[in-house]
Amino acid sequence: MTLNVGLPLLVLAMPFVSFLFLAIVGPLRRTGRGAGLVSIAAIAISFAAAVFVWTQGFVAERTWPWIPSDGGPIATVGVLVDPLSNAMLVLVTLVSLLVQVYSLAYLSDERPASLGRYYTYQSLFVFSMLGLVLAPGFLQMFVFWELVGLCSYLLIGFWYERPAAARAAAKAFWITKLGDVGFIVGIVLLWSATGTFEFTELFEKAQDNALAVPGLAVIMFLIYLGAVGKSAQFPLHVWLPDAMEGPTPVSALIHAATMVTAGVYMVTRTEPLFALVPGVLTLIAWVGAFTALLAATMACVEGDIKRVLAYSTVSQLGYMMAAAGAGAAPAGFLHLLTHGLFKALLFLAAGAVIHAVGTNDIFRMGGLFRAMPQTGIVFIVGTLALAGVPPLAGFFSKEAVLGGVWEAHLTGPFLMLALTALLTAFYMFRVVFVTFFGRAHAGGHPHEAPWLMRGPLWLLAALTLVVGIRLALRGGEGGEEAPAWLPPLSIGLALAGFALAWAMYQRGAINPARVASALAPLDYMARRRYGLDALYAGLYRGIILGFSRLIGWIDRYFVDGILNALTALTLRAGDSLRHIQSGRAQDYVYGVAFGVLLLFVWAQLWR
Amino acid sequence: MIGLSSYLVLAALVFSIGLFGVLTRRNAVGILLGIELMLNAVNINLVAFARYNGDLIGVIFTLFTISITVAEVAVGLAIVIAIFRVRRTVEADRLDLLRG
Amino acid sequence: MTVETVGFWVVAAVLLASSLAVVLTPNLFHAVLFLAAALVATGAIFLLLAQPFLFAVQLLLYAGGVVTIVVFAIMLTERLVGQRIRQTSRHLVNGAIVSAAVFAGIAGFLLRSPLATPTPGPAADATIAIGRALVGPFAVTLELLGVLLVIALLGALHFARGEE
Repeated sequence: MTLNVGLPLLVLAMPFVSFLFLAIVGPLRRTGRGAGLVSIAAIAISFAAAVFVWTQGFVAERTWPWIPSDGGPIATVGVLVDPLSNAMLVLVTLVSLLVQVYSLAYLSDERPASLGRYYTYQSLFVFSMLGLVLAPGFLQMFVFWELVGLCSYLLIGFWYERPAAARAAAKAFWITKLGDVGFIVGIVLLWSATGTFEFTELFEKAQDNALAVPGLAVIMFLIYLGAVGKSAQFPLHVWLPDAMEGPTPVSALIHAATMVTAGVYMVTRTEPLFALVPGVLTLIAWVGAFTALLAATMACVEGDIKRVLAYSTVSQLGYMMAAAGAGAAPAGFLHLLTHGLFKALLFLAAGAVIHAVGTNDIFRMGGLFRAMPQTGIVFIVGTLALAGVPPLAGFFSKEAVLGGVWEAHLTGPFLMLALTALLTAFYMFRVVFVTFFGRAHAGGHPHEAPWLMRGPLWLLAALTLVVGIRLALRGGEGGEEAPAWLPPLSIGLALAGFALAWAMYQRGAINPARVASALAPLDYMARRRYGLDALYAGLYRGIILGFSRLIGWIDRYFVDGILNALTALTLRAGDSLRHIQSGRAQDYVYGVAFGVLLLFVWAQLWR
Repeated sequence: MIGLSSYLVLAALVFSIGLFGVLTRRNAVGILLGIELMLNAVNINLVAFARYNGDLIGVIFTLFTISITVAEVAVGLAIVIAIFRVRRTVEADRLDLLRG
Repeated sequence: MTVETVGFWVVAAVLLASSLAVVLTPNLFHAVLFLAAALVATGAIFLLLAQPFLFAVQLLLYAGGVVTIVVFAIMLTERLVGQRIRQTSRHLVNGAIVSAAVFAGIAGFLLRSPLATPTPGPAADATIAIGRALVGPFAVTLELLGVLLVIALLGALHFARGEE
């Protein structure tokens, strides 16, 4: 059945229409809930269209010239529809829809005008993300990439009166910009070498071995830098934990399922190009695995429930990138999809807990299972998925990633990822035990969240289970056969992590403090985020402030110095010349006589 | 054979001497005397040229300059007297109110 | 050696000597008298240049009028009683150098340019022609001169009135 390209365009257009509508029609926006309903309606339509496109397996490409020139347009805009983009369409619209519904309840005590602003931003964000996903070429992808970054800034800093939120938003923007600089440089270099931005043309050139450009590795590395920033790879991961200053639904949407996955999506989309530079791919795998391990260690000592989830996201993004680097891009993408589901679930559940208890600190919670059983159940489902326990979806995607890395003979990354799996299970169950079981610390009356919040939670939990079962029935992804010992290994690692957490936090058999002091150096570093934030702050202060001090010095001593010297010179010259005006007429006659003599000289008397 | 140039050189000499007087005299009236000499030299020049070129323009010019000089001396001395009344001195060095 | 030549040299010597005396003598009164001598010598030069009318005018106005005025001014601006009128100059060397330089400049230009050397024929008495010119082409100038003299008269009167 041939489908009109208008359908993917509809998916893209609905959120944009909603954004325009809300941005322009002030009174509607200021009603708060009204704006929310408009936005939700738009995205529901988008979601329906996306599901339709995906289930029909639609493949198409349609572009319009943007910057015309002789010999074909320099840049185009349009849509590129294939299974990869279709899956992302569904993920993005689904999670956005659920988050927007959830937000109606979560932000119910927000001022209406403020809520309207929130939904305007949400619509803009969905539009940007979809434009990125559907981009047929690097240029459009970059434009929407930046737009997504802007929305991230707007949404992280949604409560802009809070200084911490404003700082976090600026930090996110800055750090991702560092990566984006590399990205745009790489894009332009690639264009100057090949003459095109479009993916299909580039992939054809790669096929025909016509892309043997000198410095291709550097170019692809620069492009990869964009993903480093956006997908929070080391060392540009420092913005993601701080981004938790934004509302929890925002964290669920942007920093779990959609924006941060843009980097992974980009690498996956341009995989034919990266395949030409295996060195860069290996680097990607190592950095990804290292990021995963590093973030996992930091999650183990974190007490803020959202921060734990943030580090967990960084860690899982590392998994995805490692898979891409190992040449197992489909595995990484599968993990992206499953992770999007259960991480959003975890975030939204954490939001319900925070909403009920009023604090983010897990050590001020406890025993919440009795008060909020439904939330507890879905949270545990998400945890099991994240830890990689079958038959939930996370198990299959994680196993695929590990298998892919092993098949590529990347032992170092494999070991790092395996250790990370252990730690993942550990820190997630740590949170579960401390938050939902044990002694109750929380004051007030924690209660179940309203249905508007619980509905999305149950839906996501169900999807996690359903997707997992489907994957189990289909029997593995792609053609790579993982080694037989892999599934038992990953299950074993998950169980080991669970056992460790149970022993330390539920049973009290092992004292966490003793473990911490035993691993004192590691514990110390992890708590201080390995000094990276301090390093960035120091660099920023050092470079920018040092530069500004230098400029200030130059301004004071050179620029002002020249001016001061000129004025002093003028004053002194004036002072000395003043004596010519003696007031005595005879001196003036002298002057006239001198003038006459000069005239004689000028008239060349001696000739 | 006293040529035109002799008269002109003579006039130049008198002019320079008058200039010397203007530059060095301390008394204001002394300066005016120097000015008189300079104007005199100019007159000699004019008449010499009139004689050697054969027309009367120089002579008429001289008549006028003599008259104007007389008027100028009168007014100048009146100013000197007025200054003397106020400042009780006509020494040129003391008259420096226009000092910058 | 014609009479004219001898006359010229004599008169020139007198003129130069008295001019120098005007600017160099310390006594201002003497300076005025030497100025009178210089003015008369100039009149003699005019005679040599065949302008008797001008000689007369010179004597009347300059040697007569101007000298008288200056004498009066000196009287009025020096404290005469029991005091010698003294006048010393300053910066003689500077002035000498500048004046000499100016003279050198003028003389240099003079001696370079070609000038008419031979004396044209004996000149007729020019007085009538002067008179005719004064009421002819130069009538306006003459009238303006009259106006100037009136203005000068008024100006001198104003200054002479003093603080009343």
